[in-house]
Parts: sequence; structure tokens; C-alpha cells
Amino acid sequence: MGKKVLTVDDDPDVRLFTTTVLEEHGYTPVEAGNGEEGLQMITSENPDLVILDVLMPRQSGIRLYRELKTSKAFAGVKIIILSGIAKKTFLRSQQALTEFGESPVPEPDFYLEKPVDADVLAETIRKAIG
Amino acid sequence: MKIKKLMFVTKFENLGYDAIQSLLSLRKASLEHIVFMNVIERDRVAMQRGVGYKKEEAVRLKEAANIRFIDWAERLFEQGMEVGVYIQVGSLAAEVAKAVRKEEADLVVIGRSHKSAMEQFYSGSTVTELIRRVSAPVLVYKPIPESPFAMGKPFERPLLATDWSPASLRAIDYLINLKALIQDIRLVHVADQKDIEGSSAMQAQKTRKDTKSRLEDLCARFQAEGIAARAHVYVGNPASEIDKAARECQATIVVMGTSAKMGWVERFMGSTPQEIAEKSLFPTLLIPPAMQ
Repeated sequence: MGKKVLTVDDDPDVRLFTTTVLEEHGYTPVEAGNGEEGLQMITSENPDLVILDVLMPRQSGIRLYRELKTSKAFAGVKIIILSGIAKKTFLRSQQALTEFGESPVPEPDFYLEKPVDADVLAETIRKAIG
Repeated sequence: MKIKKLMFVTKFENLGYDAIQSLLSLRKASLEHIVFMNVIERDRVAMQRGVGYKKEEAVRLKEAANIRFIDWAERLFEQGMEVGVYIQVGSLAAEVAKAVRKEEADLVVIGRSHKSAMEQFYSGSTVTELIRRVSAPVLVYKPIPESPFAMGKPFERPLLATDWSPASLRAIDYLINLKALIQDIRLVHVADQKDIEGSSAMQAQKTRKDTKSRLEDLCARFQAEGIAARAHVYVGNPASEIDKAARECQATIVVMGTSAKMGWVERFMGSTPQEIAEKSLFPTLLIPPAMQ
């Protein structure tokens, strides 16, 4: 069993793409279709890495990222943001939420804008969890 | 009845980012989450003889909608808003109702229906369909150039048209929750022409006075919350009189309760909320009755 990687994305095509890349490189993929489901899966599956979309139904990746980064329980989980939303927007939104009185969160270690090449994704996963 | 989550349903024809901007005033009344929705009508990509299901067309339409929504979402995310997106192929009212239940949205915003009279006769108007299927209030948004008084603050001067139904009385509580946005409110009741026909001038005046006194009792509820309120009585056809009252009061939005129970009757006879929603230039907020 390879390291476990959770993809949180509402687009089934993207989940199929990441799952294929993960399997080809020996990882164990698991999937969730929105932020809420993602949080449940992180709790139940305890993945080594989360590949997280931003714009999703129910709960966005911006909120889920914030929850993961402000909770000690998820401190060890690595995150790659994979989204059509620009990185600068992601950072500004986190800054805006901090200005509204929420706790500050660190910048994501890895941010990929869609569409992403399979090799680039595989290399980023390798950098994140080996 | 706070508005924390709003579902914004658009076909991009007449409901764009300018509408979202004017709705952002709802942040003063707890709005924190906007969910965008685009429904690609099944007919546009349906199975056709010799062509089959037009999958490529469906993908193209979905991607076009997604590009638009990403642009809007980026602007809202940067303001600290929470944003979600649904792009579905299917029937508009059914898909919106499904998403509203899933998201537990507090308000649905849609544009005016573009169905022809014949389509409305057979399938009902989208507004009527939607009201029948969802428990959340529905705002039929009209673009600002159409609505002369909206000026980007749709909740500033609402006109509440009441027929004393439970839904129209429920609208009072709904509006009180929006008090941070309301400058002043007008309450209107349209008396039936029959109520004053054949009666003496004295009797007609008594009807007017009784109605106004009833409206003033409702005004007192708004005044107790610090909202300026004023009562008006009109007589005649409800839809045209409500529209007239909205113009005379320079209202920014018309608010009405709706029964939404007699869909087939509305299809034959029409209903006042439907008529205002479809024909008036004013944005129209339709409040359904409380769920049993």
C-alpha cells in the first residue's frame, strides 16, 4: 500500500485524472466531491496528502484549507491546491478573512493552477510526500 | 430567517456580476456565502435523430459557464466571501430546487422568465414552478437599467404588498431581519373593486379607513424596529395597482407573499405574484408560506 492521497474536487473528470496519476505512481487514491465530504474523509481516512480544489459546492477549498491549517489534529497533513482560481486570489481571500477577525493561516506549500500536466502533478506530489 | 447563503441562478443573458454587486449590500444582513448556478436546458443538448446526445456541446456550454463563474468567484473570494458553483444539464426549476435543498440556501435569485405565453401555459412559469418546489424566498431580479429606482440598493425602499395571507404576513418578519438595509418601507393593500361598488360613499370610505388602520398596525411593527413605515390603500386590479404603487412610492423592490399551492389554477388564471414577477420593472421578492 502506497501513501494515501485524498482528492477533494467536485469535477469527476479531475478526480479521474488525479486518481490515474496517483495509481500510476504507486499511491493510494481516495476521493471527495466537496469541502464537507473532504473534511469527513480526512478524519476517517487520515491521508498523507490532500489535493484540494477551491471552487466547490457546500464548502469551498478556501474554508477547508483554513480548517486544516488552524486545527492541531490536521497539522501533519500536506496540501496541494489544484484549482482554476488564481493563487493571488486564494491568498487575498485568506488575507480578507484574517482582516475580518479569523486566525491567520500560512500560505500553501504547493499551488497548481488548472489545467495541470500529469508530470507536473506527479512531481509536485513527490516533492510533498516523497 | 437570516440570509446567510444566497443561490444566484443565471443564464448570463440579463443577470450578471452587476446584479451580484447590488446584492452584496445583504452582507449587512449576514450574507456570507453565494452559490452560482447555471442550468443548461436539456433541449439544447438532448438526443436528436442523427446526432444523438450532443456531449461536446454540453461540455462547451459547461466550460463557458465555468469560466464566467471563476471570474466572478475570484472577485468575491477576494472580499472574504464564501463561493460555490453548480453547472447542471436538466430542467431549470427541478435542478435549482435540488441544489437549494442541498445547499440549504436562504434566498434564490433568478432573472425574469423568457418562456413564451404558450410554453408557460403548458409547463407553467419558471417562477411559479420554483416557488412550488422550494421553501426559500425567491427574488426575481430585474437589471438596474430596467428598474428606474433600484440604483444598486434593492432593499433600500421596499414596497410590501399584503393580502393578509400567512405568507404576506411572514414577509414582515423577513423584512425586519433586513432592517440594516431598509431606509423606509411602504405597505400596500389593493382592495377589490367589488368591495366598494354599489356601496355609498360613506361605506367606501369606511372600507378604506378599516384597511388603512389594519395596515397601520403592521406599520407599527416596523416602526418598533426603527424602520420608517407608511400605509397606502389602492383599489382595482392587484397587479397593475401594486406596480403603480411601486412607481409612486419610488420603491426599489416589491415584496409579496405567495401561496404557490394552486399551480394549475395559476396556469389558467395567472396570479398576482407571478404577474408582478414576470411583467413589472421592479425586482420582486416572493415569500412562500412557512413549511408545514
